[in-house]
Amino acid sequence: MRAMNDPVIFDRAAVRRHRDRAAPLVHDVAPVLQEVADRLLDRLDDTTYRFAAALDIGGRGVVAPQLRARGIDSVVSCDLSPKMARVNGGTVLCADEEWLPFGPGTFDLVVANLSLHWVNDLPGALAQIRHALKPDGLFLASMPVLPTLADLRRALTEAECALTGGAAPRVSPFPDIRDCASLLQRAGFALPVADGETLTLAYRSAMGLLRDLRAAGETNALRLRSRQTPWPDLFPAALAGLMPGADDTPLSVPLRVAVMTGWAPAETQPQPLQPGAFSISLEDAIKKIE
Amino acid sequence: MTETAQPPLDPRLLSILVCPVTKGPLIYDREAGELISRQAGLAFPIRDGIPIMLPDEARAIDA
Repeated sequence: MRAMNDPVIFDRAAVRRHRDRAAPLVHDVAPVLQEVADRLLDRLDDTTYRFAAALDIGGRGVVAPQLRARGIDSVVSCDLSPKMARVNGGTVLCADEEWLPFGPGTFDLVVANLSLHWVNDLPGALAQIRHALKPDGLFLASMPVLPTLADLRRALTEAECALTGGAAPRVSPFPDIRDCASLLQRAGFALPVADGETLTLAYRSAMGLLRDLRAAGETNALRLRSRQTPWPDLFPAALAGLMPGADDTPLSVPLRVAVMTGWAPAETQPQPLQPGAFSISLEDAIKKIE
Repeated sequence: MTETAQPPLDPRLLSILVCPVTKGPLIYDREAGELISRQAGLAFPIRDGIPIMLPDEARAIDA
């Protein structure tokens, strides 16, 4: 079904297992997910549009209750893991973002809070989301972007190189924020916007960061990850390298997130004029400014 | 094996779900607890009231 030259970066079965395993633990990281969700759903206050039918993709229990609290009648939650789907309460199903089971124009709002960065075919997933939206429906997504977890990636790579002379990828390759708006545009969304937001998490120990990644279901699901048990010294060495020098200085972990908005195209939206179809000359406009 | 009663599928879901592969219609088989896509020749299981709409988890059927 997938063309042979399509890149398959993530092991989706592993993503699913990690989310299954994280379902009973996810409340431990709910404050972080909630903070990002708050910033994302703030965008709903920028519009006077009343939404009636929303889809929550991979909301891990923090998005659906907020959508219901905002008075949206119908909220459907989906997740790649059925156990994680159940965390949302309400109407839930298990679905793959790359194979969305919804017909055209089913929703007027789709929200994906930190849930699209393990998708292989992101342009395909975005195109399916756009099709599932009614004309003039809104898509809101948050996605971790570089340099999120760059320090962890560097510490693991350096420690592994020192121990073994090579390194396997252990941290997901995140997109750059500049890619995000163009991804929306390529998927056919109108008025695409991607803003950057940064949350800084502080950890007393580097182990706490790994524990949170596990509780969020965010551990390594790269297809080319090493299947071997890591060297026993690897994580202690990498984590020691990650901590700042002074004894009680906490580990500061910036989480850089792209907050993305795009609208399903509709004729009622502002449309660009055809070249030559404007009614004011540029010369006159400049004169007015002067 | 005794038949265990399947929790009913949320009617809201029944009205919006389509086959993830063909985007065509699904038929709800209440007794088997499956959503059937004739076009794709796949039956998607419903487990504990949650439809599992993953092509990898679906059962192949004769179309």
